[in-house]
Amino acid sequence: MKNKGIVIFLILLTIVVVVIIVGDFTSTRPDKQGENPYEFSVDEYTKVDPDLIQYKETKNFRLVFENPEGIAYYKQKLYVLGDQRLQVISNSGNLLKEIELNDFPTSIAVDSTYIIIGFNNYISTYSINGELIKKWDSLGENSVITSLAVWNNELFIADAGLRKVLRYTMDGQKISDFEGKHEEAALHGFIVPSGYFDLAFNTYGDLWVVNPGNHSLENYSLDGSMREFWQASSVQIDGFSGCCNPAQFTFLPDGSFVTSEKGLVRIKIYKPSGEFKCVVAAPEKFTDEGYAPEVVSDENGNIYAVDFNKKMIRLFEPV
Amino acid sequence: MEKKAENRREFIRKSGRLTLGLAIGGLGVLAASRATAGEWVWQIDPFKCNQCGRCATECVLNPSAVKCIHAFDLCGYCDLCGGYLKPDANERSTAAENQLCPTSAIERKFIEEPYFEYVINEELCIGCAKCVKGCTSFGNGSLHLQIMHHICVNCNECSIARVCPSDAIKRVKASEAYQVKGSWSKPL
Repeated sequence: MKNKGIVIFLILLTIVVVVIIVGDFTSTRPDKQGENPYEFSVDEYTKVDPDLIQYKETKNFRLVFENPEGIAYYKQKLYVLGDQRLQVISNSGNLLKEIELNDFPTSIAVDSTYIIIGFNNYISTYSINGELIKKWDSLGENSVITSLAVWNNELFIADAGLRKVLRYTMDGQKISDFEGKHEEAALHGFIVPSGYFDLAFNTYGDLWVVNPGNHSLENYSLDGSMREFWQASSVQIDGFSGCCNPAQFTFLPDGSFVTSEKGLVRIKIYKPSGEFKCVVAAPEKFTDEGYAPEVVSDENGNIYAVDFNKKMIRLFEPV
Repeated sequence: MEKKAENRREFIRKSGRLTLGLAIGGLGVLAASRATAGEWVWQIDPFKCNQCGRCATECVLNPSAVKCIHAFDLCGYCDLCGGYLKPDANERSTAAENQLCPTSAIERKFIEEPYFEYVINEELCIGCAKCVKGCTSFGNGSLHLQIMHHICVNCNECSIARVCPSDAIKRVKASEAYQVKGSWSKPL
């Protein structure tokens, strides 16, 4: 009986310890959340068959921008926008030139003569060496310039605010515009729910425009007549989901489409016919619910993607 | 005996003072808490919210005082709304099996081809944020949660704020009780 006190003390201690452990286990404190009965999960769609992934990440360059904004590729050089600067980077990642800008840029296109930079609602043209040639007048207070493409000394502008493609000469004279209506009687053409509206020329000079509200890519003649389109609406790997996908795209030298998506962030390749071909980078490569990477490709079919969340350029090469 | 009587009188005097002190103090605290409750209310910062679902399960009210609201000026009025339709919906329709909301609290109304308006039925909404997550991930983020002050009882310690993993719920001035996206922007 000498140890009776100790035994009682140990029993009480055990009870206290058990209560603390159980209390902690059942606690709902902020860092200890149980299962969310209302969880919205797309986890099952983030899993990609490894056989479909036909590219691997071989290199990445960290960007010094607080807010990277866009990228263009022209003859072994990357032209990267961010903050109020343009950086010209070699394809091995060396900084070749930096140009200060007077405003926050949104988009860029480069050809043999010009660097064309889109700001919120106006354009500035620069020589290929970076000297300012001309700052254009505003395209209108409702304009939101999201993408640029050059063909035969003409500039094509994707304007998400006006929901139109605008066609200009390189000195800023408007030639025409079109809103993607496939027939006169159609109520709407391009359906642009947010600031994602991309266009590009393939190597054959065909103008393709994303219609993000339709999950489609549409081919137009230069005067704005629709020639063909393809559509892929699905949350599965072979389609596009959400309101504004594909958010970005570019072309491979053979005319295949490289698409980049927001929400379920992934980069994929579709054949020139629009048939799904393979995956460049699966969602696991990116930040959950991150921004859609902007993509460009080089002459060898390598793909450079601007990862806006990780603030880096990531190079994906065919396996 | 005299000492005991003195002690009793002293005890009664002290008790009286203590009771009076407590009563005045209590009234002061009550007045202060009412004044505070009148000037400050709980609200969700929609830019911090991570749609964890706790607003639906942790509020002292059932259903929760947290409801989804819709910033129409941000909405794309999409046919394929990520906040309304399940990711793997069979078709873009109002059929229950295609709806993301567990209580069918979002009404989809046709406007003109191909645009639809999405209106929250507050009575049905339980504040689970499932639609908010879908809209934020795949859309413009126009659907978001707010604490509705005609329902909220403005507890001294908000039971949701206590467990909010993103620290999105805080007291705000009653004169600026709502932080609706679009009209209220994320502070720098």
